[in-house]
Amino acid sequence: MSEIVRERRLLNTWILRASIVLCLLLIVIGLSVFFVHGGTHIPATPSGSLRQIIRHAVHAGTGLHAGTFLDAGVIVLLLTPMARLLAGIYVSARVRDWLYVAIGVLVLALVIIGVIAGQSGV
Amino acid sequence: MSAPLMVLVILFGGIAAGLIGSLTGLGGGMVIVPLLTLAFHLPIPEAVGISLFGVIATSIGAAPRFVGTGLSNVRAALFLQIAASSGALIGALVAHHLPARLLFALFGIVLGYSAIMSFMPKHSDVAGAPESSPLARRLRLGSRYQQAGNWIEYQVVGVMPGFGIMIGAGFLSALLGIGSGAFKVLAMDRVMKLPFRVSTATSNFMIGITAATSAGFYLSHGDIPPVIAGAIILGVIVGAYAGGHLVRMLPVSTLRKLFAVVLLIVALQMLLKGLFNL
Repeated sequence: MSEIVRERRLLNTWILRASIVLCLLLIVIGLSVFFVHGGTHIPATPSGSLRQIIRHAVHAGTGLHAGTFLDAGVIVLLLTPMARLLAGIYVSARVRDWLYVAIGVLVLALVIIGVIAGQSGV
Repeated sequence: MSAPLMVLVILFGGIAAGLIGSLTGLGGGMVIVPLLTLAFHLPIPEAVGISLFGVIATSIGAAPRFVGTGLSNVRAALFLQIAASSGALIGALVAHHLPARLLFALFGIVLGYSAIMSFMPKHSDVAGAPESSPLARRLRLGSRYQQAGNWIEYQVVGVMPGFGIMIGAGFLSALLGIGSGAFKVLAMDRVMKLPFRVSTATSNFMIGITAATSAGFYLSHGDIPPVIAGAIILGVIVGAYAGGHLVRMLPVSTLRKLFAVVLLIVALQMLLKGLFNL
């Protein structure tokens, strides 16, 4: 097995394991906090840019709100396919396959445009 | 129903969606949207947005099965992803301007078609292409994979028709909150003549990115209530994981037929809601 194939496998395995564990952990904590508080406080639905959503979640985190953890879990999940895409771009760059680096960057741009288009309320 | 009880019911609904999606091979999205709209009366944009996160979760959950097998054709995935993500972007933009009833009717048709297709054999009888088309050669899409110790080389044709189907698959994914895996495999296996196993592995890689393109849109648009989304994501991951294990122990072909019939009934219900607001 070539070094690059091994590297790609390792990178993908690491991304998948880390993200699924982190996402599940954040969501389980978030739902636990929600139930511990009697389910009386329904966290607000986030909107805006990812930066705004993350900043909002971090600010709310000081009060140990369910929404903080749940928003973070949702964002981790959203970022995982992007991380797999970045890994694909990285591996293409390592073998100097610039056509596929360019294609990967274009796809990543489309994903980012999706987030921007949503926050502008189109 | 009190809020905590409702969240618990949604969590168990998510487990059922993951389980049924995994056993039928249709994915969680096909079950989540009807569950959230018909049973919990959530607005369809919220149900679709949440379902897309469920699709990402099932795609990530299934991914370890394919990582390292060498089956996924990364070049084909990246190239076709331009089409799938473009379609998903258009679908997300359009979804918020379409009447809910049209979305219900469309969902009913796609779910009905997918449920019928799940009765069909999973393996493919499509013969491989003898040589790659000029565009496929230029993009270096032909590749090889290992089977029983032997390397099997394959060629790729029909790049532009495959690209076109991917735009449609991405569009439907964003519009209806589904993975569109069946359409992606159809494009790669039937049209581009990639081996079926390669098509399935490549499709899994693409489904997550396609769903992320539109899920980001729905999240920043304010369509993802965190408690319901959290309960669905957790439920779908647990259900899909259990389904993956149950597949080896249960009479899957009987269960698949049983669930396909259930999904056909749900499809009819979605269609009736769309056409007659029933």
